[in-house]
Amino acid sequence: MLGSPSLRLVGKRLLMAVPIVLGVSILTFWVLNLIPGNAAQQLLGPEASPDQIQQLEEEMGLNRPQVVRYLDWLGGAVHGDLGTSLVSRQPVTDELGPRLAVSGEVVGLAFLISLGLAIPVSLLAARWPNRMLDRISMVVSTTGLSVANYVFALLLVLLFAVQLAWFPAIGYTPLSESVTGNLRSLALPAIAIAFPLFCFYTRFLRSDLVDQMQGEDYIMTARAKGIGPWQVLLRHAFRNSAFGLITIVGLNLSTLIGATVIIEQIFALPGIGQMLLQAINTRDFIVVQACVIVFAIITVLANLLADLLYAVLDPRIRYGSN
Amino acid sequence: MAVTEVPASSVLAVDETAPAPARKWLRSLAIGLPAGLLVLIFGACFVLPLVAPIPKPTGGDVLSSSLPPFSPGHLLGTDPNGNDIFSRILYGGRSSLIVAISVNLLGLALGGSLGALSAHFGGAVDTIIMRVLDVFIAFPSLVLTLAVAQSLGPSQRNTIFALAFFSIPAFARISRAATLRLREQPFMVAAKLSGTSTWRILVRHIAPNIGPQLMTFAMLGMGIIMIIEGALSFLGLGIPPPAPSWGNMIAQGQLSLSATPLLVVWPSLALFLTVIGFNQLGEALRARWSGR
Repeated sequence: MLGSPSLRLVGKRLLMAVPIVLGVSILTFWVLNLIPGNAAQQLLGPEASPDQIQQLEEEMGLNRPQVVRYLDWLGGAVHGDLGTSLVSRQPVTDELGPRLAVSGEVVGLAFLISLGLAIPVSLLAARWPNRMLDRISMVVSTTGLSVANYVFALLLVLLFAVQLAWFPAIGYTPLSESVTGNLRSLALPAIAIAFPLFCFYTRFLRSDLVDQMQGEDYIMTARAKGIGPWQVLLRHAFRNSAFGLITIVGLNLSTLIGATVIIEQIFALPGIGQMLLQAINTRDFIVVQACVIVFAIITVLANLLADLLYAVLDPRIRYGSN
Repeated sequence: MAVTEVPASSVLAVDETAPAPARKWLRSLAIGLPAGLLVLIFGACFVLPLVAPIPKPTGGDVLSSSLPPFSPGHLLGTDPNGNDIFSRILYGGRSSLIVAISVNLLGLALGGSLGALSAHFGGAVDTIIMRVLDVFIAFPSLVLTLAVAQSLGPSQRNTIFALAFFSIPAFARISRAATLRLREQPFMVAAKLSGTSTWRILVRHIAPNIGPQLMTFAMLGMGIIMIIEGALSFLGLGIPPPAPSWGNMIAQGQLSLSATPLLVVWPSLALFLTVIGFNQLGEALRARWSGR
């Protein structure tokens, strides 16, 4: 389906993403090396003698210049080796897989819930602007955007786990153990992440749809042709708004990743956010570095995917105006 | 109904130079209400502890721990350490607001001038600055803020630095876009042709024109920073206890969520009211600037 101009566009974007990911890795490496108490000290505890620390540093190669260590790390990273955890002494890459799966499942569910609600709600609101449903959805989404996600998560726990006991407050049931148990354990975290997203998408989509329905010439043409209001809304206005929505979803992903760190901490989910936080607290900078890079790559890829979807959906880009 | 209404207004071009008095009143209310709320919050956090007999936020007495709300001398009761909750809310708000204001001022000053310079000079300077900022923007900000906060050690000053790291690129982008739009304006061309110095152009011509836009963003930025600062403190990487902050009060309250939910409710409510105040003010200002 893809014509060659769009392939070229994707290739160009992919090339542009490489320096960004490299930049992120350099930045992370630099910031993590600012840590005053170094890793060897941390591992050996406060009673370690300077000799012991020096010995361990040599063993782990920490006494080499930063640039050498960075290039060494980069060489491994390109081959999928992100180093060995200083604390568990296990290869980081092995641990990342299952943890990414947990985080991915939560984030995926959150996307499903937020988009699954935001799209119909905004369509209904834009179909009858300033009516009851529109007003309610605007108040909810405006208010919701001012609620911190950790506050919302605790409210959910208080209401649905403590008071009503419908869902477990914390913990994770793997999918292989029980499907319903898995969904029950992920329901509250997914809703906690989804709610602010829902508010954000609804606000954007509703106002974009209303603006188009009231101001654009092609909408008036469509109406003049005698097309029904729902058809105009879905076929003409929504199709246009979808582009903005895709950009926003892509841009939002880095905020979303930040949210998983807090939400996984509150609900004790064994995801990558929890892994990062544990590594930060134990100063396991190899793991921190790996997690940050994974986050950065996901963010860059998500934006790339948004560009690609654009190319697929918009004939002007697909057939290349460059 | 909507079908007949819309074309009519766009075809007949309703006289918009004289807005109905009710509309105007509503508009000033949209700015006045959140501004009033924020004045109240600032007053409570910064002035009230100076003039009213508010107990200390730390060093409470264990004998008077976990008192219910409306206890004598403790409006909202006390926490498990015997500290007055109302006082902790006020002092916590003070430190959260100081962090948010400092971060936004840093972002406004450094990011704003970086973006304006970048757009003004263009060419290689622009490319280099924007590529470096792209790296920061690609970053999941909370994630690196956590790493920075941990590597610098938790304290109020370090929280400000860690958060400023990410507010600067955002401000720079907005100021760059705004400056680019100005570049072709006649007065800018005239200033350049008459040999005005770069410094003078930046200070006298660019700054006053991009100022309102940056200020509006700073209002929205205040809300965002307050929430992220709360998250950092919530995770134990922001303002270290026993010093109060809304984030660490929520984290502390989480430990006894089912027994004493009010410990979470009070700081959450304070955070919510402050953030919605800033967000609504920012939105109202944006509507006002873009409406003209």
